[in-house]
Amino acid sequence: MITCDEFMAEFGDYLSGRVSPEVREQLELHLSQCRTCQVLYDSTRKTIKIVTDSCSFDLPQAVSEQIVDKVMAKLRRAQGQ
Amino acid sequence: MSYLSEVDLGEDFSPFAFYRDRFERVPNIVRAQTVLPRAIEAQAILEAGLLQAEKTLPRELKELLLVTVAASRGDVYTVTLHGKLLSNLGVSELAIEELLKDYRQAGLSATQVALFDYCLKVSHWGPWVQAADVESLRQCGFDDDSIQEAVLVAGLESYLCTLNAGLGVEPDFEPRSLPATQTAPPPPRIPPSNHGSREKVSFLDSVYRSPKTFEPFELILSSHGFIPNYFRAQTARPDLLKAEAEAIVGVLHPEDVLSRRMKEYILLVVSAANLNSYCVAVHCNLLRGLGITPEEGDQIALDYREANLPESERAMLDFSLRITQRPREIHRDDVDRLRTFGFSEVQILECVVTTALNNFANTVQMGLGIEPDFDPPRAFEKKKMHRVPAESRPTGEDTGASIAAVAAEDSDAALVAEAQRGNLDAFEALVRSHTRRVYRTLMAILGQPEEAQDASQDVFLSAFKNLGGFQGRSKFSTWLVSIARNTAIQRLRDRKSLESLDEGAGEADEEFRPRQVRDWQDDPEQMYSTVETRELVEKSILQLPAKYRVVLMLRDLEQLSIEEVALNLGLSSPAVKARLLRGRLMLREALTPHFAASAGRAAR
Repeated sequence: MITCDEFMAEFGDYLSGRVSPEVREQLELHLSQCRTCQVLYDSTRKTIKIVTDSCSFDLPQAVSEQIVDKVMAKLRRAQGQ
Repeated sequence: MSYLSEVDLGEDFSPFAFYRDRFERVPNIVRAQTVLPRAIEAQAILEAGLLQAEKTLPRELKELLLVTVAASRGDVYTVTLHGKLLSNLGVSELAIEELLKDYRQAGLSATQVALFDYCLKVSHWGPWVQAADVESLRQCGFDDDSIQEAVLVAGLESYLCTLNAGLGVEPDFEPRSLPATQTAPPPPRIPPSNHGSREKVSFLDSVYRSPKTFEPFELILSSHGFIPNYFRAQTARPDLLKAEAEAIVGVLHPEDVLSRRMKEYILLVVSAANLNSYCVAVHCNLLRGLGITPEEGDQIALDYREANLPESERAMLDFSLRITQRPREIHRDDVDRLRTFGFSEVQILECVVTTALNNFANTVQMGLGIEPDFDPPRAFEKKKMHRVPAESRPTGEDTGASIAAVAAEDSDAALVAEAQRGNLDAFEALVRSHTRRVYRTLMAILGQPEEAQDASQDVFLSAFKNLGGFQGRSKFSTWLVSIARNTAIQRLRDRKSLESLDEGAGEADEEFRPRQVRDWQDDPEQMYSTVETRELVEKSILQLPAKYRVVLMLRDLEQLSIEEVALNLGLSSPAVKARLLRGRLMLREALTPHFAASAGRAAR
């Protein structure tokens, strides 16, 4: 079986679903037998989901409108001149 | 004897023994490379690994195959030298003549002919090779090992043919005349197609090897920074993989003659001409890691003659392309022309060897159907590459068409064209649809909401000012994000922040050791209100070092693909992947106290 270090070397690609079936098989075998990596995998996956669902740093509509208005006002003024 | 001079390397130079053993003399093709001994070492490693070893295909059959492919390419030098070797192995003169006349009528078995047919297709019509071709070889009874060996022999002939052409090597013996009857195979009738399934890394079945403990992978990691599928696909044969890795790294890695950047240019330009979208994507990415912007890389692949390169580098790329596409038409003048640009003999040799190695790898990739590691630049997607007729292989003519292809896939193209004509309403629509992405990019780098909002205006004003310079080589949104990135970096500099976004290579090696190994709640998102979760995530993300934060935000919040993030930030995909993982792990670490199974609201 592969080691934890070896698991970690493929971890990023595994999270993105970018590993071949051969690699996947090895990684999943490791996961089924290593508690530490299992916890790591599970919590990292949850981290990604939480981040994605959180809509963090979303620009409030009002602020977004303000930016558009300011930019366009400057450009229209410049064009009018 | 060749266009370059010969240097005395002494009798003890070890590859010489290998060649004396094989040919009873050191052949001219080897003596032509004495100004750069490592070039000879690379060739000897390849020949010993690929031809000499007798693991699956018999040595004699491999030599017969090599000579057949060489004959189809008009490579008189290789036909002559390896024809002599066949005589030494006991093949009769008559049998060799028959083989050269028509290998189908030369006493080979029907299955051997099928294998030769396949290799000739790979050699001449690589992009047209299909998974079904390999399937029919399997039905003939060939296993993956044999197919791999045969494809590598075809690849080796691409290598030798390019070397002979570029170095002008004179035959060691009375040159054999090639009968006119046997020429390159006719164009395939079936249109080329994508391989379709991404179930496997290639046509072959590979075996999992860990990059940390598998010796050839360590070597590749040191030179490429990641393990391309090209190598992963060949793990079932560590012996062949090792030979390839040693030869490739041995030629590409040293920087004492040509720079790595120059070598990558050669690999990119020649791969593009060979319609090899796989290698184009790999080398675009490696160039990004060397600090070449995606736009520059695309331009070089599309048409290096229009790229902003010194005249001397353009001349070298011209030469690489000629020895690949017109090997029979090279003259001493072509080499002398390079000398007038100040290139030394060693540099010219390294250019030829790099080109030869590229043609080897291009042939092998197509013959083994190796799946891409990254999406190629849009203009080089496989389906589009195939539209280019093989006779007029690209660089040049279809630049306009390729740009049109990018534009066709950019939903903003029509608005951009309007805005470029001065239509402010069109520009307003563009601003409106990209405000959020621009803001997030700025926020990711600057880390302060007010400043990011303020900078957003600058980005759009600057985009409007420079709209005339936007030529549609990338998507509009990509272009916009790169302006946002530059704007933010400028602001960081202005406030003299030392936080760096760009650090050199090697960062992928840095280990990040997870410390907290605690089980998380089954449904962590139920633990806090949406607003609370968002505050927690934002706070934690802002504490990440900027270089990880940017990548994580563009990927996990903006939902860009790894390739798009790479394009936007001017990084290689492997660098993006490494930073993304690191960022995610650091964030996981920061969030664990809040979401662990033992954490409740009380734990906050």
